[in-house]
Amino acid sequence: MAKRKDIAVIGYGETKVTLRGGRTSYELAAEVLDQILAQTGIDKNRIDGLAIAETMSETSNPFWPVYMCEVLGLSPAWTQVNGLGGASGSGAIARAAAAIRDGMCETVFVVASDAQSTGSHYPEQGAWRHEFLYPVGLRGPVGSFGLLTQRYRHQFGLKDEALAKLAVTQRKHALMNPNACDKLRVPITEEDYLKSKYVSYPLRMLDSVMVCDGANGVLVTSTENAKKLGAKKMIHPIGYGEITNYKGADQLADITESGFMVAGPKALKQAEMTPKDIRMIMPYDDFLIAILLTLEHIGFCGRGEGSDFILNTDLSYKGKLPLNTSGGQISAGQPGLAGGGLNLVEGVRQMFGEAGERQVSDPRNCMVTGIGGIPYGRNWAVSNVLILEQS
Amino acid sequence: MSEAPKKIPRPQPRVNAYMDTKPFWDAAKNGKLVIQYCKDTGKPQWFPHPVSMATGRRNLEWREVSGKGQVYSWTVTNSPWPGHEDRVPFLCALVELEEGVRMLVNLFNCKQEDVKIGMPVKLCWEKLSEEINYPAFEPA
Repeated sequence: MAKRKDIAVIGYGETKVTLRGGRTSYELAAEVLDQILAQTGIDKNRIDGLAIAETMSETSNPFWPVYMCEVLGLSPAWTQVNGLGGASGSGAIARAAAAIRDGMCETVFVVASDAQSTGSHYPEQGAWRHEFLYPVGLRGPVGSFGLLTQRYRHQFGLKDEALAKLAVTQRKHALMNPNACDKLRVPITEEDYLKSKYVSYPLRMLDSVMVCDGANGVLVTSTENAKKLGAKKMIHPIGYGEITNYKGADQLADITESGFMVAGPKALKQAEMTPKDIRMIMPYDDFLIAILLTLEHIGFCGRGEGSDFILNTDLSYKGKLPLNTSGGQISAGQPGLAGGGLNLVEGVRQMFGEAGERQVSDPRNCMVTGIGGIPYGRNWAVSNVLILEQS
Repeated sequence: MSEAPKKIPRPQPRVNAYMDTKPFWDAAKNGKLVIQYCKDTGKPQWFPHPVSMATGRRNLEWREVSGKGQVYSWTVTNSPWPGHEDRVPFLCALVELEEGVRMLVNLFNCKQEDVKIGMPVKLCWEKLSEEINYPAFEPA
């Protein structure tokens, strides 16, 4: 990625997030396509690329992307699937940009769709888990983030009131987001957060996402083609960093460090920015402490300063650094492995000036982050950072 | 997280599920904890990998370790993996062995209020079946 603005995001779509909504991943993705075509006025036959995220509901089908093309009536010259969990959405934009620049296709539908809460049979992740995780009984992400939170507290100290503030800030945003899951569209207080029951001490229920159904996507093309197509609005990816299995070979890696320490500076350097230049941030939020760590690791504050940074910064849509203005996954609901796209699409929506009562003023740029996968005894497997800017 | 899982028995380890781990389970059955070492660099690694984490080569051997370590982090599991419902609440920990690897294990013979990061612990075994001894740790 580079700051030459030769690639454009010209449309976005998002379904409402529902709990056991009963619609399939195909139908949810179809709604996103329909929205994007209506919004941009572009003929669907102009779409010649598809980048799709893996799912919890359909991934047992080894031809998932191919069936999606068939179901939606698309005939792409370039088809690509991302198994990066919550990093798949932003990762797909970077990959689509590369494919467009290489002439493999012109206009890419980037989509993530997952009916995880409706489906009943999850794909098995296998590998070492049968031997060295399941017999111990630690429950996937919740257990790993319990261990991570405990270690962070030990090394740096953690102010629970900072996480409480994040919880309330995101919930207030969800109340203004009609696409947020109805079950979560009720106000909460900091007291509610602090009294929330422990699921994996010291991790609380209100630290965590609720798994739902939903889909989201964006349309990516070259800026030149966007102009030819008569795109009404466009924004540009100007910086991107990604790393998988950060320090994976280091047996004694500090688990309070993450791949954002590499991906963040890389994205910022490409964008010719520092954290102070970022107008708003849509960080991946499977658990609240992931937001705190993301802010530290990308350099919005120093290591161990996350609690104070959160307490001293207005993170509301009206604030100095608006954060997850549609509620984040924690308060809008996590649409399965389409969860990473929820905050991405909100960034695009804000920059298009279409966020309604939660609209950020001067939405000139946005940082979006993604997290994917839970490795053995660490924090997360994939970290990516995307910076978007207006024309 | 999403919905109450159906009640299933506690999952037993599936030996050799992703690579040849039989040396580990054979040693465990005899009350010995073995982990892999890279023969080129002398570096230990856990969990078992089909290549050296240091070199990417397959020049590995299994060696017995002391079973002594300390708690690197811990959590109380209230929302367990399916099959562990009858055990809640229970302690899970990352234990750092003095040889220089970390293991994800259960902590036994220890109350939540007594666990501390840095606390010395030692190996004990949980007998899951006639064939399977599973490594766990307790206060040293």
